[in-house]
Amino acid sequence: MKKLKVLTILLATVLVTMVAFWGIYVPIQNRMENKVKDYSYMMDLKGSRNITLSVDKTNKTTIKDSEGNEVSDADNLTEEELSEKGYVKEETPYNNEEDLNVNNYKKSKDIIEKRLKELKVEEYNIRLDESTGDILVQIPENDSTDSIISELSEKGEFQIIDSETKEILINNNDIKLVNVMYGSDSSTSTTSSGTIVYLNIEFTKEGSDKLKDITNKYVKTETAEDSEEVSENVDISDEEDTSTSEKKVTFMVDEQELFSTAFDETIETGKLQLSMGNATTDNENLQENITQATNMAVILNNGQMPAKYTVGGNEYILSDITNNELNIISYVVLGITCIALILLIVKYRTKGLLGVISYIGLASIFLLLIRYTNVDLSIQGILGIVITLILNYMFIYKIMSNIKKEKGKTIGENIKESYKESFLRIIPICIAIIVFCFGGWAYISSFGMVMFWGIVLIATYNAIVTNLLFRINDNK
Amino acid sequence: MKKLTKKIKAIFIILAIVIIAGIAVVATKGFNIELSMQSNNRVELNIEKDFEIADIKNITNEVFQNNEVIIQKVEVFEDTVSITAKEISEEQKEQLVEKVNEKYSTELVSDNIEIKHTPNMKLTDLIKPYIFAFGLSSILIVLYMMIRYRKLGAIKVLVKTIIGIAISQITLFSIIAITRIPVGRITIPIIIMVYLGTLFVFTNNCENRLTKLKKEEK
Repeated sequence: MKKLKVLTILLATVLVTMVAFWGIYVPIQNRMENKVKDYSYMMDLKGSRNITLSVDKTNKTTIKDSEGNEVSDADNLTEEELSEKGYVKEETPYNNEEDLNVNNYKKSKDIIEKRLKELKVEEYNIRLDESTGDILVQIPENDSTDSIISELSEKGEFQIIDSETKEILINNNDIKLVNVMYGSDSSTSTTSSGTIVYLNIEFTKEGSDKLKDITNKYVKTETAEDSEEVSENVDISDEEDTSTSEKKVTFMVDEQELFSTAFDETIETGKLQLSMGNATTDNENLQENITQATNMAVILNNGQMPAKYTVGGNEYILSDITNNELNIISYVVLGITCIALILLIVKYRTKGLLGVISYIGLASIFLLLIRYTNVDLSIQGILGIVITLILNYMFIYKIMSNIKKEKGKTIGENIKESYKESFLRIIPICIAIIVFCFGGWAYISSFGMVMFWGIVLIATYNAIVTNLLFRINDNK
Repeated sequence: MKKLTKKIKAIFIILAIVIIAGIAVVATKGFNIELSMQSNNRVELNIEKDFEIADIKNITNEVFQNNEVIIQKVEVFEDTVSITAKEISEEQKEQLVEKVNEKYSTELVSDNIEIKHTPNMKLTDLIKPYIFAFGLSSILIVLYMMIRYRKLGAIKVLVKTIIGIAISQITLFSIIAITRIPVGRITIPIIIMVYLGTLFVFTNNCENRLTKLKKEEK
């Protein structure tokens, strides 16, 4: 009976080990596919998208009339038509020479880093070439990578200008905070027509005063029948204003005109809500609007970059740590573990063998657990696996040495004693691991999460399996 | 007891020598930063077919006289190779192209291949993201140790733990500097390992002393 129980545990261990190390293969469309989830690797083991942001050295073309005022609707005119009308083309660099200095490059790098943090990118590398101002950003490859890249090169210059005179009325310095809000849209009818996403801009004290003045000055004088009744809400997609007004303001981001509008009433709260897209019930559209608004909020929240950048290079480069190298590390760990386990058998004979069976079982379950708990593995994560295996070895060794030393006590008492002695000694390590899990940096979290699951498994697995194995063996 | 004091003294003298030597090496030569973190040059060769890293390694060994290079596959099709070295001259680029053309029967033209410059990554940028996690965990651990081992003297435990963590990390950096182990991706895992190791040794030591004290009290 005793042998049968041990054999059952042994077979279960062999099964789990086979699944963990080789997987479960099933035939799918004339090929064998492993149904066991693969490890999820981080940037240092998998590869990264490398984006080079280069300082924009190009010129922008502006067309001015004879009085030196910028003409906005002359882009399609031929050279002859321009000269007929007395317009002149002017080439000005996007970045002034005096703005291109190390301090501004560093500021740009800091802004990009802040944007990455606010976009919840938890693993990235940023390097600055102080001589050219070029910034190399490395981020992981996933579904949101392209969206993130598009936000990195934006200058983030926000302006509300007078549509006619182009006078700047409000700029980035007047913004206190930008966030995203959404709610049901009931502006067009009594019933809700879907969810609408707003970009909520909160202005500073000075900015609020400016906004109050603007909304006093740029008022709709004549309103169409179906015009919106929303006072503080301005629809960013509503480019064709149904109202006629004498004076309008234009919202600009990075010198791109978003829309022109006038206000229904004075805004005294210092808050302005711009609707992003139309109200929608479609989840995909809603998500798109939220992403667009969030990205805009991230850009505006972190200030304006002192220099304009363009995406110079954008490519996915695999890690220089190849699968072969990872295999070598695995074999080394496996080799050392085998030697340590053999030593355990030599020293403790039958109990040592049971300890080894238990140890292999834990190692296999641990490798499966890492895969199914979606822990991303980095070099630190691999270290977490190694430390967990060491801790488990020390724990099993402690149990066996206690059993050998305290022959008067029962197996249960010895295991309880081993738990007390071992876990009291790793409480500071456990504290560190919990902090690392929430460390805010993906690499340290990877280590923390691996170790967290490792210690939880050591505590539970040994209480069940190791305990059972030794009890069965002791039950003569 | 006298023997133990001698042993401890010897350990302190060795640690002091290692730390002083480490400081001297850092002051004169600095750390040996790994190539991927250094300012470097990179070329990309679009081979347009499967290739083995080992074969490219043979080529780079010939061109760069066994100097350190990083070889990486580029993009999803993995048919382009990126070769990174500290410096890549026009002549070396031409040699690389020539040898790759020879090996893979490609028709790459050296003039069409650009030597890209990658700026260095600052050591502070490597360490900065870890400061919060290490700082907070150290504070919490020290607080725990002060409470748990208050019978051994809370202030004594506090000072010993802080000094222990600091000395172990300084010694580690000194060893890294002296042995010229490249500082880079592998450095943080080593720091974590030494940090946790130090904590384990200290806790083990305090726990043993507390058990002994409790036994004496009984």
